[in-house]
Amino acid sequence: MLGVVIGVAAIVALTSIVDGASQGINKSLATLGTNQLSITALAPDALSEHDAEELAKLDDVAVMFVQTQNEGTIATADKRVNARLVGVSAKYFEAVKPQIALGSYLSSSKYSSSSKDVVFGADAANDLGLTADMLGKTVKLNGQDFRLVGVLDDQAGFGTSGRVYVTLDSARKLFSQYPYVSSIVLQAATPEAVDSLQISANRQLRESYGLGADTDARFTITNQASLIAAVSSITDTLGLLLTGIAGISLIVGGIGIMNIMLVSVRERTREIGVRRAIGAKQSNILTQFLIEAIVLSLAGGVVGLILGEIAAYFLAILGDWVFSIQLETVLLALGFSLVVGVVFGVWPARTAAKLEPIDALRFE
Amino acid sequence: MEQGIVASPVVELENVRREYLVGEQVTVALDGIDLVVERGEFLAIVGPSGSGKSTMMNLIGCLDRPSSGLVKIASDSTSDLSDNQLTALRSKAIGFVFQQFQLLPNTTAIENVMAPLLYQGISSKQARVSAKAILKRLGLADRLNFDRNRLSGGQQQRVAIARALVTNPDIVLADEPTGALDSKTGAQVIELLKELNREGRTIILITHDLEIAASAPRRVFLRDGRIERDERGAR
Repeated sequence: MLGVVIGVAAIVALTSIVDGASQGINKSLATLGTNQLSITALAPDALSEHDAEELAKLDDVAVMFVQTQNEGTIATADKRVNARLVGVSAKYFEAVKPQIALGSYLSSSKYSSSSKDVVFGADAANDLGLTADMLGKTVKLNGQDFRLVGVLDDQAGFGTSGRVYVTLDSARKLFSQYPYVSSIVLQAATPEAVDSLQISANRQLRESYGLGADTDARFTITNQASLIAAVSSITDTLGLLLTGIAGISLIVGGIGIMNIMLVSVRERTREIGVRRAIGAKQSNILTQFLIEAIVLSLAGGVVGLILGEIAAYFLAILGDWVFSIQLETVLLALGFSLVVGVVFGVWPARTAAKLEPIDALRFE
Repeated sequence: MEQGIVASPVVELENVRREYLVGEQVTVALDGIDLVVERGEFLAIVGPSGSGKSTMMNLIGCLDRPSSGLVKIASDSTSDLSDNQLTALRSKAIGFVFQQFQLLPNTTAIENVMAPLLYQGISSKQARVSAKAILKRLGLADRLNFDRNRLSGGQQQRVAIARALVTNPDIVLADEPTGALDSKTGAQVIELLKELNREGRTIILITHDLEIAASAPRRVFLRDGRIERDERGAR
């Protein structure tokens, strides 16, 4: 029975882990938008704002924004820490829509290149010990004064939490690398257009820098949809692998149950004989022993389910993803133990049913 | 049902032979057995061990079929019956009482007595009513929910007799029913069987004990697989 407990617990825990992990990763990636192409510079001067403007003119581009980023310092009157300072163009918040905990975005309506407003990511805000009453107050970025207008939520999305967001022009004044950009993000009008947009963006950039098809580019283009597909294919494979391992423990558990039942049939031979003598048909004996095997296996399954969910709960806390008991997991666990009980209970039950009553009664 | 008025045979054995193959060797357990038991008789089958009385019990109890000859129980020949049909006949016609009581493990007195009815497909509610009535009749009304570990030997044997009677069988087949009891309790069990016989029940007692056998009005002595003599009347 221990085998069934371990097998079912493993299935339950592993299913939850794979579900939780892939949900977490997908959620993070989804905040970046599935229609998006990210063009990232591999050298400081690889991309310019002019490139971005030209790319925005391509067919099927719905939204374009630019990011430039560098390490810097952020400070209040009494604290100073390092952070990643990110300059974003007008459409950034509109396109990414990170959840806001306090205040507001650098919204495109209020966006002006000369604005000295700043939005903090959750970790950056925590590092600096910012509180709600700091909204509208001054913070220093690389020694310059900025006005805090918003703080993003902890769950805002992939990679936002340790960052500090300012306008592109402000960022230029904070860094010396004008007019370079770190990345250009294109959002396609439809998910279907993403692939063709990737090809045309690549072609246009290569042409503008005079790069041949076989020359290494100074930028990479990442397609969010293909990233998500890659991640889910990895988690699917992982899930399959882990289910395979759990399946092997279930088979081992099933063999254990079969042994227990065979021993039980032997020990209870006289009882079987008495039952046959007082009117039990072969089918009654078969049913009785089959039910006993199923009960044994289901009991193992229930214990395994409970242990597995407890393990999944703690792993969810460790892995920082949402714990939930899925109906499918419960049904899967109980279904598996039922099947194990039936499959491995049939032989002992048949052995019991086939005993001749007189031999069974005479058995010492 | 009164003895003498309806004289219909409930057990008929005609030239019965039962042999077993032990390795290459054919062992004859019973040979040339002719026996008729009328409804309402109280009969003891007596013999030392190896005389063939267990084989005889198995044949009459529909647990086994003859190698040749005819065994008819309540007018049905057992030879051509399938396992299920033989089980159905056994369930209807025979109530077993065993030497070691053989109460089912992990079940209470009443559950033991209900079991044969449940195997007949009778509802649990109805079975409980019948089982309770018969346990009461045998003086076990206050022991219904006791399991076998909490019952004395005599009480266990009375539960076993209740279990044998609950289906209202044609024959009560008692195999050394006093073998595991002290002489006083054994005598009470024999008295109970006599009482049941006076009510019209057919009782077949299998024993090696001549004293126990003497309590039956008819005694069939077996030796080496044959009927040695068939005595009637009190001794």
